[in-house]
Amino acid sequence: MGILVFISVLLVAACGLIYELIAGTLASYLVGDSVFQFSTIIGTYLFAMGIGSALSRYVNRGLANRFVWIELVLGVVGGFSSALLMLAFAFTQGFELILYALVVVMGVLVGMEIPLLMRIVKDRYQFRDVIAHVLTFDYLGALGASLLFPILLVPRLGLVRSAMLFGLINAAVALWSTFLFASQISRTRGLRVTCLLVLFGLGVGLAEAKRITATAEDNIYADEIILARDTRYQHLVLTRFKDDLRLFLNSHLQFSSRDEYRYHEALAHPGLAAIPAPRRVLILGGGDGLAVREILKYPQVESITLVELDPEMTRIFSSNPMLTRLNASSLLSPRVHVINADAFPWVASNADNFDFIVIDFPDPTNYSLGKLYTTAFYRAVARHLSAQGFMVVQSTSPMFARDSFWCIVQTLKQSGLQTYPYHVYVPSFGEWGFVLGGTHDYAPPKSLPPGLRFISVADLPALFQFPPDMAPLPMPANQLNSQILVRTYENDWKDISH
Amino acid sequence: MKLGRRKFLGLGSAALVGLTLKSEKKIAGSFVNDSFQMGHLLRDRATFPAAKRIEKVPVVIVGGGIAGLSAAWRLRERGFTDFVLLEMNQQAGGNARWGENEFTAYPWAAHYVPVPGPKAIYVRELFEDLGVLKNGQWEERYLAFSPQERLFLYGRWQEGIEPAVGLTSKDREQFQRLENVFADFRKSGAFTVPLELGLSSKSKHLDRISFSDWLRQEGVDSRLLHWYMNYACRDDYGALASDTSAWAGIHYFSSREPEEKGPLTWPEGNGWITRRLLERLGANIRTGQMVHRITQTRRGASVFVGDTEFQSEFVIFAAPTFLAPYLLENFPSLHDFVYSPWLTANLTLDRYPDSRGAEPSWDTVFLDSPTLGYVDAMHQSLRTHIDRTVWTFYWALAEGAPAQNRQLLLEKDWAYWKEAILHDLERVHSDIRQCVSRIDVMRMGHAMIRPAVGSIFSEERRRLSRLDGRILFANSDLSGISIFEEAQFHGVEAAQKVLKKLHG
Repeated sequence: MGILVFISVLLVAACGLIYELIAGTLASYLVGDSVFQFSTIIGTYLFAMGIGSALSRYVNRGLANRFVWIELVLGVVGGFSSALLMLAFAFTQGFELILYALVVVMGVLVGMEIPLLMRIVKDRYQFRDVIAHVLTFDYLGALGASLLFPILLVPRLGLVRSAMLFGLINAAVALWSTFLFASQISRTRGLRVTCLLVLFGLGVGLAEAKRITATAEDNIYADEIILARDTRYQHLVLTRFKDDLRLFLNSHLQFSSRDEYRYHEALAHPGLAAIPAPRRVLILGGGDGLAVREILKYPQVESITLVELDPEMTRIFSSNPMLTRLNASSLLSPRVHVINADAFPWVASNADNFDFIVIDFPDPTNYSLGKLYTTAFYRAVARHLSAQGFMVVQSTSPMFARDSFWCIVQTLKQSGLQTYPYHVYVPSFGEWGFVLGGTHDYAPPKSLPPGLRFISVADLPALFQFPPDMAPLPMPANQLNSQILVRTYENDWKDISH
Repeated sequence: MKLGRRKFLGLGSAALVGLTLKSEKKIAGSFVNDSFQMGHLLRDRATFPAAKRIEKVPVVIVGGGIAGLSAAWRLRERGFTDFVLLEMNQQAGGNARWGENEFTAYPWAAHYVPVPGPKAIYVRELFEDLGVLKNGQWEERYLAFSPQERLFLYGRWQEGIEPAVGLTSKDREQFQRLENVFADFRKSGAFTVPLELGLSSKSKHLDRISFSDWLRQEGVDSRLLHWYMNYACRDDYGALASDTSAWAGIHYFSSREPEEKGPLTWPEGNGWITRRLLERLGANIRTGQMVHRITQTRRGASVFVGDTEFQSEFVIFAAPTFLAPYLLENFPSLHDFVYSPWLTANLTLDRYPDSRGAEPSWDTVFLDSPTLGYVDAMHQSLRTHIDRTVWTFYWALAEGAPAQNRQLLLEKDWAYWKEAILHDLERVHSDIRQCVSRIDVMRMGHAMIRPAVGSIFSEERRRLSRLDGRILFANSDLSGISIFEEAQFHGVEAAQKVLKKLHG
């Protein structure tokens, strides 16, 4: 029987440490600052254990019964601690309060376990053996738990299920103790039924852990994530909140379905509608098919070539029903030719001519993307323009990144193009800028395709006016060998966020 | 009780074993482009077959590095096609050779040319011919893209190789003072590229002391500054500052206008220039042709390759000059030609390693490393998404005597150099072994001429540079420094001299 008692000690010690680790890990995950979280949680936990040990002296009668009850309560509190904390973080303002309350409760209970156990078995062994054996197994259990936690539990089970599993172990120890200490226990039957109920409850918790985690995560990330994918090229996340679909590429917002029409109408129509008889259109980037949707409104356009790096992007936007509703299945049109290729090498090696070219890349946040905003790139693109052609460049915000916007304008100028910068307001982005470039004069169109929601012939000329806070700034051009735009862009946005 | 413990310990140790089972990625590779075997045949005076066939060619160019190719380029450009160029290796290019795998070309040695200054007329002419210089504009795609250079020091990156982090005010003062001294030398006009155009006896005294002694005389004792000066000497001359003539050290810093445009570079480094030249010269180039003897005749010179005798009127000797005593009869032994041994390696990377948050740069250097760091072949790619690449790793064996280092190059096997390279890279890229799938290593016992003390104004060198007689010397080592512009200058000059002599 001795060995069984000491295995209980080992298991109980393991459970105690696991709850502590779970509290620390969750706090670091959710709140951050792991050094602070672990220090304060370990400190509080140990202090509460001390309180538990002190309190144990007031337990005088029915030691074994009390021990079983402590195990049961600990099993429930510890077992659900992880789920409770995640939900608390997701749905309440008082995460820290609940965290430390839980840590104190668990610490007190854990602190009472060992003194009580020692007293239960004290008559069976010599005092020095009790101390030696109990503490030996206590520490062994702690070692086992500390190794299992990072190697097996967190990666395999996750925090919610790990806690449930160890809650089950606590409850199992409780049940087991009713047999182990049968001679010292009263009201055995009722106790055993309670044990079974707790075990059942924790078992259900273990089975439902996934749903608990999902519920909490959905709320932590505010909007419902309907698609998250790591493609070869980027991290793609699609969220939905009520009727608002949002696409994030590498955490940068690409569009919100509530106002993307403003952006895409502004991108396509001022340039395209000004070309007398556009037949061939090229789009670089824009794998969401939203610019294509606008361009398909011109019946005279015979072919649209879309060059998008990421095949996963064009695949999702031609197959997901929510997205094809948004882009009106534009990528499936027989007039559209999708080419999955890196834009610069494609532009440099292709020889076709186009009447209108849309350049819709992510903002120049790094030197790789910065290559797509250089004189070398615009010169290579300009070679594809037909005699009547124009190109349009999405050029970040002239309000928030004013230097960057005018740097892009200057880069186009230095590439030998006449430039016509304009801007619109897109609520989810703010003030946003575009630049038209061509080798001949531009005049705003006198007519537009029917059914537009934002751009109108009457308002068009005003888009080309820049108020003083967005007015031109003298900037150098961006070149492959001296990419000043990336640094400029970084500084522009740093100024905003500070 | 025993069972419980054993079980527990078993579980624990299984978990620990699981931690150590890190899969070691297999790295392939070998030595490549070894050429010392052929050189040693000459050194050991091996016997070669007697001539059975005779080819009459008015001009023979010996050596297909940049000097020889430039001589050929000038000959053809002037409409003269009656010549052959004989290259010992299977691939022409010398220090401007390149390699290629299924996704990129990469350099084997020289990997850039600084934007040429106004005096480097021949280089400008070449670049106009190759479309690098158009209407006075340098082609943007051939200028090194941003970000260009980075230095890893004190556990972080900085832009540029000149240390700018952790300088004391004393360091700063010395950097500034030295910069002013170099600016004055620049203004003096004595330090030019090509070197010969500015060479003046007024600066001869600087060739009599080492660069490190000269720095000490100038009161420079900043550790970072000495590191940087040594880096410069290792990078361009394969030598420590203490083994470099002060004149050459100053030339490195004072011969070019400081400007932000350059340098010019390509995925395969200067191999790109070699390729373009070979496209133009293909018919005249013969590779795998090891010259074993050159003799002066009454009306010209004969060049012997295998059992063929090329009877010519003029020979342009563009191979390294140290080979001359082994090829030419009664040629006096040379004293002022010291060569630095080098090792380069090309590493195929299946992915980029952890770079501690930094974007890949063109050229990466580690402070206090014995090596020179590496260059990224995919950096000049126009692509925005790059997952695989080739790094060219440079290592001038500058520490110690060249002869001993040549011995080391011969003795150590490929695995030794592979480990040495990975150890160096691991200091910064801890997961490099998980990224590399292939390391090819090129050993060069005589990689480049070393501008040792006294070598720039050496009488021997001046005599050999004279371009008289039937055999004209044209290797870059005649300048005392091994850079593209010098090789090209000597090659073009030799070709012009030959044309002049042929046409009277």
